[in-house]
Amino acid sequence: MGKNPDRRDLFSGALDLMILHSLQVKPMHGYALAKHIKQASDDLLQIEEGSLYPALQRLLREGLLESEAGVSAKGRPTRIYRLTGAGMRQLEREVSSFEKMFTGITRVLAVAALQEG
Amino acid sequence: MAWLNRLFPRRRRYEDLAVSINEHLAERTDELIDEGMSKADAEQQARREFGNVCLIQQRSREAWQWSTLESILADVRFALRQLIKSPGFTATAVVTLALGIAINATMFSMVSAFLMGHVPARDPEGVVVLSSVNPDASFQADINGVSAANYLLWKQNTRMFPEMAASSEFRTASLSTPGEQTEAVAYAAVSANYFSTLGVAPQLGRGFVAGEDEPGHDHVVILSHALWERRFGSIPSVIGRTVRLNHEDYVIAGVMPQDFRMLGFPAKLWTPLTLTAADRAPQARSSRNLQVFARIAPGVTLKEVRAQMNVVAEQAQRDFPATENRWGASARTMGDFLVYNFGIARALAIIMTVVAFVLLIACANVAGLLLTRAVGRQKELAVRMALGASRVRVVRQLLTEGLMIALMGGAGGVFLTYFGIGLVRAGLTFNEMTSVVPVSLDRNVLLFAAAISIVSALLSSLAPALKASRTAINADLKNETRGGTAGRSHGRLRAALVGSQIAMALFLLIGSGQLIRAVYLLDHQKLGFAHDHLLTAGVVLDQARYPDALKQKQFVHSLTAQLERISRVESVAVVSDLPATGPGSVPVHIKGRTEARANERHTATDMVASPEYFSVAGVPILRGRGFTGADQPGTPRVAVVSQEFVRRYLPSQDAMGKEIQLDIQGGSPESCEIIGIAADVKNFSEDPRVEPAVYESLEQRPVAGFSVMVRSGTDPATLSDFLRSTVTRLDPELPLLRVMSMDAVIDSQRNGNPLFEKLLATFAVLALILSAIGIYGLIAYSVGQRTQEIGIRMALGAKADDISRMVLREGLKVAVIGSVIGFALAIPLPKVFDAMFSGVVFGAPGVYPVVLAVMLIVAVGATFGPAYRAARVDPSQALRNE
Repeated sequence: MGKNPDRRDLFSGALDLMILHSLQVKPMHGYALAKHIKQASDDLLQIEEGSLYPALQRLLREGLLESEAGVSAKGRPTRIYRLTGAGMRQLEREVSSFEKMFTGITRVLAVAALQEG
Repeated sequence: MAWLNRLFPRRRRYEDLAVSINEHLAERTDELIDEGMSKADAEQQARREFGNVCLIQQRSREAWQWSTLESILADVRFALRQLIKSPGFTATAVVTLALGIAINATMFSMVSAFLMGHVPARDPEGVVVLSSVNPDASFQADINGVSAANYLLWKQNTRMFPEMAASSEFRTASLSTPGEQTEAVAYAAVSANYFSTLGVAPQLGRGFVAGEDEPGHDHVVILSHALWERRFGSIPSVIGRTVRLNHEDYVIAGVMPQDFRMLGFPAKLWTPLTLTAADRAPQARSSRNLQVFARIAPGVTLKEVRAQMNVVAEQAQRDFPATENRWGASARTMGDFLVYNFGIARALAIIMTVVAFVLLIACANVAGLLLTRAVGRQKELAVRMALGASRVRVVRQLLTEGLMIALMGGAGGVFLTYFGIGLVRAGLTFNEMTSVVPVSLDRNVLLFAAAISIVSALLSSLAPALKASRTAINADLKNETRGGTAGRSHGRLRAALVGSQIAMALFLLIGSGQLIRAVYLLDHQKLGFAHDHLLTAGVVLDQARYPDALKQKQFVHSLTAQLERISRVESVAVVSDLPATGPGSVPVHIKGRTEARANERHTATDMVASPEYFSVAGVPILRGRGFTGADQPGTPRVAVVSQEFVRRYLPSQDAMGKEIQLDIQGGSPESCEIIGIAADVKNFSEDPRVEPAVYESLEQRPVAGFSVMVRSGTDPATLSDFLRSTVTRLDPELPLLRVMSMDAVIDSQRNGNPLFEKLLATFAVLALILSAIGIYGLIAYSVGQRTQEIGIRMALGAKADDISRMVLREGLKVAVIGSVIGFALAIPLPKVFDAMFSGVVFGAPGVYPVVLAVMLIVAVGATFGPAYRAARVDPSQALRNE
């Protein structure tokens, strides 16, 4: 049974991609992950921090991530998220398709810019 | 069912999630504090950045859920928790609905068994029952029996009817097996192709084969399952055994299966029907006693069959005007015929209507309860909507609660129905034909219970749910409302609910009151004879040993003489039909009086009585004389007629000495002279009408089948053993039919009436109680809401009496408005009933004021408690409230 498709808004594909990519670098807990995404994008991407968590649960359910008990930098109990083998493959697929899409969009925009100019 | 497997690890997932989110918030808070914020500010800021924690948690959890089902399950779980939290409310609502549903399902079990019961035929839609249409009958005229001649004629139309069979029902045989007592058994004589036409086969042995309905080959018998079980101990080896039937040897050929049971036809065994030349003779055409079953050819419709029957009937009218004049022919499908013939549909329709009203009233009560509850929960709902629950979701939640209540009510209802059906079965034993019908908690009843549970859920919770969801979030959260203003529109809806309950209850009370009164009057009408202290029994003298009038009379004489010798016996009479048991009518010709028109034939009930009859039955002779021993075959034929006979056929004439002639089936008409006029006796104990009657002397016209009437000074039941032993002494092989007191005979003719009365009365009273609970709930709630207002009134000087009067007035207002509506609805009822029950007198106007008074007294009574409490409100307490 799939999830309600309209729950996965346009941004979620991108969010999934960013989560997978961030966790590929190293396993992280939720807050660290949120902070990492924010900083890596130079605060360009303003996301509600909390919206990370539904995405994490979805990825867990799809078997792309796994979680384990751990402690945060401040020594509080939390859960550490780590990429699985399937997650790794999914990331590769998503990156290549994202790049293709991005190239496509860039070309279209370039053509539009030419015509305007 | 993968989602089921996920249920267990899911709890751990949720925990993980909560831990992560908590850590997230704590870490962010710490960071903000490090940046120099105060702890409180930091916590607030962290939450703001995070977003709606509850919603995000919910969304995150949904990743693990099968969303639609899960949210329904969540609704159900939440609803159950809510219901458990207020057990008083839940119990009241569930019990109310359980009662309503149980009553409906229990009554429906009769509908299922009687009206939807199985038709004992293969492919029953293809079987029709062909009948004559009696031009003179007022009751079920179109399913009159068929004459042998017509049956044999119709049978020739093999294009339309590939198979046609006939049965002669309601016969009684004496059955004896070696070493056991002779008993009277109901049986039917059927054509050899009867079972094959219906498409049913015996469970054991064989059916009849062609030729077995010829005289000389017809001494074979097929047993019903019930008789085989009771009398023959279910032994398979009965096949081929010989039994004595009507004092002749018959060979058992087969046993029918248990479910071969025809509604309204009590046959316990079947013999072949032999049709002789005499049966086909033109004069035998007036003897219409066959049920005709036909299988119609594929593609032929019932409409075509009916058209054909009309053509055939018209032809017969031309060919045989003497016997077929004005008679018609009709067809019904077998299932339709059985239900119609049994005649229970109307009573069931009335009962189902009544119980439907009771359920409506119960639903209104539950709706009232839910409305009250919704007011108490307004704040909760406002909070949920403020937290992001959509209106649809809130309505769904409330409907789920209603559904839970209805389902629990339905489950409780089915549980109660199980016992209710037991009661119904016990109540249905009033005659053999109803007691064999398997009323049970069958699939139909369960489906019906489920359906009405869901309907009740919608009826009782839709309005409150919609109403509650239209909550003004701000106002409710602030709850600045004081006094009763918040509840006003709820109050109006509740008052409307209670008003309509009262209207329905009043309507029901008046309707059932009238029906019960009419049935009661019918059951207690003066019958025109002395039915107490009479013992009766039926005797059928068989052809084999009592072949002629002399033998039959000899038996009657010795029986009478021997019985009169018993010390407690006062007198003994013999009559062809017991009084008020519905003897048949025959055409009668009165010499010197020409029949006005063909369709105004003179008919009279025809009874043959011994000379002692009038004194034993207590029927006074008003003029002339009764029969005496001097009226013998050699002397002129005499007759006694009833008052009604004179009133209708010989008004303003001297009836005495007039010559009349009865058209008796199969007999040669003989003139007789009117020698006396007897007082009227009701034709049937359950019918208010009086038919003209003619009595003939048993001495002059002996009959083989008759009833014995024994009058005694003591309880007639104590004489039944003497009666039995006397008959056994005279003829050990002669069975006595239904040995019972005359009162018991009349009682048995009341059939389902006592049950019908009891059911109606029970349901009407239940409706009354439910609406009393409704009005009590309304006023109690309103008093609770207005405690502050009442406190203010009292503080301002209102006296306790004023307050209770105010509350009583509120209750009375609703009761009166409801009553007026119910009253208006009930006014046309007598006309409706008159149309439904011909011959029964309705319109007892006394019922209206009595019912209205009862309703208002109950309403005032139900209001009294809350009014009393309102008057005892302590103003200082009430004003400090909240």
